[in-house]
Amino acid sequence: MTGIDIDLIRGLREQSPKAQRMALECYGKEIFAQVARMLPAVEDAEEVYQDVFVKVFRNIRMYDAEKSSLRTWISRIAYNEAVTWQRHKRQAVIYFEDREGKAEQLTDAEVEETLGHPNSETVQLIRAALKHLPPDERAVITMFYYEEMSLKEIAFVTESLPTTVASKLSRTRKKICKIIKMLQS
Amino acid sequence: MTEEKFNALRQTDANLRDALRMDEAEVPKMPADLNERLMQRVAAQEQKKPRHIVWPWIAAACVAGVMMIWLTPPKDTPTDVVAENKPVVEQPSDNDKEEKPEMAKVETEAPVPMPTPVKVRKAQVQTTVAKRDAALVAQETKAEEPIAQPVIDEVHNDLAVAQTAKTQEKSVTLTERDIPITRPENYKYTPEEIALLKKQANEAYLRWAELELEIAKHNLEQTASK
Repeated sequence: MTGIDIDLIRGLREQSPKAQRMALECYGKEIFAQVARMLPAVEDAEEVYQDVFVKVFRNIRMYDAEKSSLRTWISRIAYNEAVTWQRHKRQAVIYFEDREGKAEQLTDAEVEETLGHPNSETVQLIRAALKHLPPDERAVITMFYYEEMSLKEIAFVTESLPTTVASKLSRTRKKICKIIKMLQS
Repeated sequence: MTEEKFNALRQTDANLRDALRMDEAEVPKMPADLNERLMQRVAAQEQKKPRHIVWPWIAAACVAGVMMIWLTPPKDTPTDVVAENKPVVEQPSDNDKEEKPEMAKVETEAPVPMPTPVKVRKAQVQTTVAKRDAALVAQETKAEEPIAQPVIDEVHNDLAVAQTAKTQEKSVTLTERDIPITRPENYKYTPEEIALLKKQANEAYLRWAELELEIAKHNLEQTASK
């Protein structure tokens, strides 16, 4: 943890408006992107974003620097707020569910072939497939591949275990391949 | 799978990373004024939040006040009255010591409830009785001597004055002004006062009964005349 982070946390604990503005500048864009990824409507994302930071400012005393970084702690609050918002909204969105377990039948080689070899057409197919993923799986994939968070950090954000996150990642990769094959067929 | 294996996958899954990067580019951007609105909301919430919670202190003060009133022992007013009244009582002088039985007799004959008027009356009666007694003593001492008519007349006059005072004393009636019962020191009456009050009540009842009889007679006469 840097000296700036220590000062920032101290300022937030003192409810200093200056520190609050600084926190918004440091983490606001990333948190808004995280929320907007899970909530397609911009109005909803704005509302949840505000709720997230109000909670952060109010509960900053509960933050434990030994358990996670401030960024990860705020991400956790944002993830929970977005999931809660979705539950309350109950939007009628259809996601792909592999109930028959066909995705699990895919081999690791097939998955690596699809996701690994650079191919612009496959990239577009993957983008289409990502839209059919449930928000929590999409969030885990993004945290791992785009934000490059560790399994431990993702587990902290999603309030689960690193092994659970690992199995979820593995399952989601195969699911993406299955969706791509369905789209191709 | 171990952490290392997943880190390796992160590097190898190039298509997936590119797809996510493209998607992230299309994610709606944060409005420029969102942080400002958020700060205004936070400031508004801070203003709404009461800084000092006052009502527990008010409640505690009320409870303390009630407990003080409840637990404070009541003032013993009758004892205070007695203590205050003690100095007012007149100390009989040496000259009066011999006349004590007769004075007591006079006082029992005419019980007087109120301190102030009673004192005056007592003083009047005492002076009268003192004169009379002095006359009697003089009469006794001069018993062997030939009794002079003027002295006897004087004694008779004094006795008459005393008698008049006695009758005046008997006819004294107390009013509400004389007995300010609203004052705490007057809550307790002496036996003499109580006796006088009873007597007055009886007299008042008799007068009322007489008045009722007169009214009844008058009504009967009116009815008979009709």
